[in-house]
Amino acid sequence: MSGVWVYVEHSGGEISTVSREALGAGRKAADGLGQPLTALVFGHDVAEAAKSAFSYGADAVLGADDETLADVRIEAHGELLTKLVTDRTPAVVMAGGTNNGRDVLAWAAAGLDAGMVVDGIDIDVDGDTVKVTRPVYAAKLLATAFVTEGTQFMTLRSRALPAAEATDNSGEAEWVEAAMAEDDIRTKIVGYESAEGKISLTDANIIVSGGRGVGGPEGFEPIQELAAALGGAVGASRAAVDSGWIPYEHQVGQTGKTVSPDLYIACGISGAIQHQAGMRTSKVIVAINKDPEAPIFKIAQYGIVGDLFEVAPALTKLFKERLD
Amino acid sequence: MNVVVCTKQTPSTTAVYEVKDGVVSWEDPGGKPLVVNPWDEYAIEEAIRVAENHGADKAIALTYGASEATEVLKTCLAMGCKEAVLVSDEAFAGSDAVATARILAAAVNKLDDVQLLVFGKQAIDGDTGLTPVMVARKLGWTPITYVSAIKEIGDGQITVERVRGNGKETVTAPLPAVISVVKEINEPRYPSFMGIRKAGKAKIPTWTASDLEVDGPVGGDASKADWSNVFTMPAREGSVEMIEGETVEEKASQLVDKLFEEKVI
Repeated sequence: MSGVWVYVEHSGGEISTVSREALGAGRKAADGLGQPLTALVFGHDVAEAAKSAFSYGADAVLGADDETLADVRIEAHGELLTKLVTDRTPAVVMAGGTNNGRDVLAWAAAGLDAGMVVDGIDIDVDGDTVKVTRPVYAAKLLATAFVTEGTQFMTLRSRALPAAEATDNSGEAEWVEAAMAEDDIRTKIVGYESAEGKISLTDANIIVSGGRGVGGPEGFEPIQELAAALGGAVGASRAAVDSGWIPYEHQVGQTGKTVSPDLYIACGISGAIQHQAGMRTSKVIVAINKDPEAPIFKIAQYGIVGDLFEVAPALTKLFKERLD
Repeated sequence: MNVVVCTKQTPSTTAVYEVKDGVVSWEDPGGKPLVVNPWDEYAIEEAIRVAENHGADKAIALTYGASEATEVLKTCLAMGCKEAVLVSDEAFAGSDAVATARILAAAVNKLDDVQLLVFGKQAIDGDTGLTPVMVARKLGWTPITYVSAIKEIGDGQITVERVRGNGKETVTAPLPAVISVVKEINEPRYPSFMGIRKAGKAKIPTWTASDLEVDGPVGGDASKADWSNVFTMPAREGSVEMIEGETVEEKASQLVDKLFEEKVI
């Protein structure tokens, strides 16, 4: 068994940030094992993405270009991965920790009776084994996770590891056929509605979140303005979502989204343990709260005791001036 | 046709954990240390709705875990599931995601005329989110994950809306299928008083390894994924720097300077 494979997600010829992070981690694993790094680029019209995978450091690219692979369907991508792993027995198969990455790898790992670990925030090579550190028990604890035998399947948590930088590396991809014909793929995608223009919470570098302290739907206005000034996304605590002040898609926490932005500004959020579970791996946490005893201050790096309706607009004004 | 909901018992969301010699234990300040996995509440509700609104004969609850996990099944019955089965055996302990998928697939195969299997999107202890897809693979059924609405079930087909990236995708597929559901799919009902009384009296069968025809090895020795080394997260606590100042502007200005220094802007 040899080789580190990274399943790459892409759109319009561009490799997604989370897959660039996986390529960075893959490089580290490949170097540690002394084995080549191969990017898997499945899709339709993927020549550009394949080129791009080389530039982000892949030694080889295994591509499949077929209409049946255009949108990620678990069976179509998963069966192709299963076939390639069976034929070529790589040591490691990695992906970014997106829904698609996890689903496609899970399908192949189950089909191959292989071991799989998920959600790595750090990786380390120990002999022939790639070990990841991952949050467990709602991110209240950490575990070292690894696969004990056979091909090692793993996913990495989004935004936890540095993304591979573009280089002038290039090469010729090897192209393979799709594993399933359209008639054999059971899932048919009959529609897609995108929420264009919105910054997704899990991809955002900066998140400004509001909690019970915002007091109502209009209370999210200063939060939105601060987020806009910083080019960030708007998050919320469960208390704010359950009160109906902001839709569920903004919820950060144990029963919402798990995020790790560079900067997380919590406004009027007390910081219940369930909220912390969704944001405590953020690089820098800022807490703004009237209550100096709020638990959020315990995990924050910077804290301001004050009224968010005064502090947030003051920050917005200063950031606008400085970033102009 | 029948619909099955797969549920798990997990530590409560407010649990406070301790790790001693690699063994994880927890206490709950609210005195309810074990609960229905919060993501599964939506799966239970949706399975019951499939029976109520989409012509399934009944919703059956399936839980894999220790004997205490019958509590989860009682909740399922109290909410409106008609049958419940606990899958439990010492021999299963330590199974990883693939081995767990084998066990659950065997249990589903033992039930009559199941056309739809519903999961929550993940469990809040292991947090892997792998089980629905792996069970689908083991059963050879259609996998559809992160479902936010069931549009239609009929003529051996299911049509759903699911979360994809920043948008919603409509997907149609033949039954039998395995779906995982997200929180926005419904608002779970509270168990009724009568439901709770009935569930309290229900006899819930336990299926062990000898009741199931599991295709492949199970338990810790058969598992290839190891995450037994669990430890406490390095504390962030005590490191907060409180920004002081006479006025709001002064505080804001100091904070902005610090954040530029941190290079996070």
